[in-house]
Amino acid sequence: MDFLNTIGGYALGILGAGLAAFMAGIGSAKGTGIAGEAGAGLVSEDPSKFGKAMILQVIPGTQGLYGFVIWFLAFNKLVPGMTVAQGLQVLGACLPIAIGGMISGIAQGKVAAASINILAKKPDDWSKGMILCITVEFYAILSLLASFMMLNGISL
Amino acid sequence: MAIVQMKKLRLLAVRDSKEELLKELIRHGCVEFAETEDALTGSEAAAFVHRESSELSKLKTQHQTLVHAINLLDTYAPKKTKLLSAKPELEDRVLLDDTGLAGALRTAETLEGYDARIKRIGAEESRLRSVIESLQPWLSLDLPLNFEGTERCSAVTGSIPARFPMETVSAAIEAVDEEAEIFSVHEEKKAHYVLLVCMREKLAEMQDALRPFGFTASALTGMTGTARECQLNAEQELKQLAAEKENCVHYIIDDAVHRDELKLAADRVNVKMSLAEAEERLCGTDSVLVMEGWIPAYREQELNQLFERFGCAWETVEPEEDEYPRVPVKLENNKFTDSMNMVTNMYSLPAYGSVDANPLMAPFFILFYGLMMADMGYGLIMILAALVAMKKIKPKAGTLSFCRLLLYGGISTFVMGALTGGFFGDAPKVIAGMFGSTWPGLPHLFSPVENSTQVLYGAMVLGMIHLNTGMVVNFVQRWKHGDKLGAILEEGAQWVILVGGLLLISQMMLFKEAAMLHNIGLGVIGLGVAMLLIGAMRSATGIGKLTAPFSCIYNTLTGWFGDVLSYSRIMALMLAGGVVAQVFNTIAAMPSANGVTPVSGIIFIVVFLIGHALNFALNLLGCFVHDLRLQCLEFFGKFYKDGGKPFEPLRIRTQYINPQE
Repeated sequence: MDFLNTIGGYALGILGAGLAAFMAGIGSAKGTGIAGEAGAGLVSEDPSKFGKAMILQVIPGTQGLYGFVIWFLAFNKLVPGMTVAQGLQVLGACLPIAIGGMISGIAQGKVAAASINILAKKPDDWSKGMILCITVEFYAILSLLASFMMLNGISL
Repeated sequence: MAIVQMKKLRLLAVRDSKEELLKELIRHGCVEFAETEDALTGSEAAAFVHRESSELSKLKTQHQTLVHAINLLDTYAPKKTKLLSAKPELEDRVLLDDTGLAGALRTAETLEGYDARIKRIGAEESRLRSVIESLQPWLSLDLPLNFEGTERCSAVTGSIPARFPMETVSAAIEAVDEEAEIFSVHEEKKAHYVLLVCMREKLAEMQDALRPFGFTASALTGMTGTARECQLNAEQELKQLAAEKENCVHYIIDDAVHRDELKLAADRVNVKMSLAEAEERLCGTDSVLVMEGWIPAYREQELNQLFERFGCAWETVEPEEDEYPRVPVKLENNKFTDSMNMVTNMYSLPAYGSVDANPLMAPFFILFYGLMMADMGYGLIMILAALVAMKKIKPKAGTLSFCRLLLYGGISTFVMGALTGGFFGDAPKVIAGMFGSTWPGLPHLFSPVENSTQVLYGAMVLGMIHLNTGMVVNFVQRWKHGDKLGAILEEGAQWVILVGGLLLISQMMLFKEAAMLHNIGLGVIGLGVAMLLIGAMRSATGIGKLTAPFSCIYNTLTGWFGDVLSYSRIMALMLAGGVVAQVFNTIAAMPSANGVTPVSGIIFIVVFLIGHALNFALNLLGCFVHDLRLQCLEFFGKFYKDGGKPFEPLRIRTQYINPQE
């Protein structure tokens, strides 16, 4: 406890806010990366599919956005001199979107990359690939909400 | 609104009238041709009739040629079109006519010829470029490339990897024959390009001596003159090819005036292909045609007159119940329910003889969509987009129903936005705040942020209503089909449990003193469970009679639990969309915290636009998908029987031109 006191609640809160932004960001970066690679492969064969490939690529980009939203809300909540307990509360509230965002972002990226296959082979059915991607999105939304409601519930 | 009643049509017609009859049928667009041959199998007539043949494969080639030609024109001479423009309209008579088709086909073939020439030129050009490349090291050699030596001497060109120094190679040569010599023509990082001169009779020995150094003879066969001359020739040829290519492109561009003719021709061939496909399903003798198919019952009168005119013999019969799986399904829709076609088509059409879910689903789908988006600003954008698209593109069929869906979803989103006080999130409040106002923002009936628990319960109650609607449908269906006991013991039992549950909850929440109500509630639940168990045991057989009650209770309980909880996504999406919008507004307004300056104003507008565009696009899609899931999984699970085969009548299908109604 003494050790935590030397760090201080504010620093713990900052750590939480940072985790939300960067871990969810990693998820989106990996996700859009995986989808982007697949997309570039397709566009090299058929440049006219660029628009649709890009839409599929940006779908896993939302997790980073959600992480950023929570970072923003958490950062606004922090006050210098807050207790260690309060700092840990903020840290805890940030974890759902940090971890959920990262993992769902990567998973969604893989679905998006596979959907680019649909776009290549059955261009008329590409919207179905989009639907498959959005299914993964729901769990990122739930993580966002869990983090949001917890942050909202903390009174500093 | 329901599934359109179909009738089976059997028709005999005179062969001479085949073409005219088919043309009339395609204009009416209400007869689906079945495989007549299959229907005749086993009958006495089968021995006398044979399948009709058509020119389908020839037409397909023609269509490909025309479409290819149009694409060529679009590549080389792109036509500037407005972003949103409707396809041109023409009368169906014009589409059924084939004057000018031959001319258009000739134009298309010429265009294809130019394209083939351009492709060949491209191949030739890359060959010449590689020749020029391979000549590069030999430019300083002023011997002709086909020079093989004099009477007594041999001259051989080739390359040696650079890791062997030239001195070592020369020494090795001299060791074999002092008179021989090797000249370095050109030095590169990887190789020495060399000329070996030696006595003819020593050539074989020389080659043996050079083998350890990895000597490879050059591959400049078939060229006359020095390397420089060859290169100049190749460059000359390249220039000629480029000029020829440019000419071909010009010819293609000149033909762009025929674009509309080609489009018309492509659609005419499209129509002919539909006719040919129908023709191949017919059977006939030398003088008579036999046809089997399906027609919607409500157009029977109109077709009767047509068949009368052509002197046909025909009968129409209603399908037997065992034929239902083969009956094509057409949904009868009005302007409101037709917006659900996209959803039903994406899932699967209802089986013939079951219920059309569109009218039941439409109000729920639109309500849920609005609840999930719940923003006046986003709603307005959707309404505007739908109206503009409907006016400018003049969409047909699928696109039209999509536009309608967008319109109704937009209206619902707007209304729900008004109830929750959302206009691009909390934009009015934030903008007022930028100018120093402390106005609390738009009024709201309920807000997903402040009343999230109530919204969650509300979503689940809506879910209960939705699921029960599905069960009512199933109950009515079973009742009609005579399974009255089953309907009471399954759907009925669940309702009894629901009523018991409501009594119990109302006692606990409202009438805490009425202990009697508590017992009544428990009793009603007990009755419902008993009914459910009897129902489960009734349909099970053998040892299943023992296990059925347990699995039944487990399935009903987990099924309901999961189904109802699933509606919490309504609240989740409503809240998520709102929160993300609010955060963007706050970030956009940050630079204006100490008063609005021109710079901070511009930053606000840019961040606001980008942020809301992102959030809007994401929600537009996300809400649709989750609404779809609630309908297809939870709602349809209660009653829907899928597996209908879509009704595909012989009708005018086009790509570039809309047939006039």
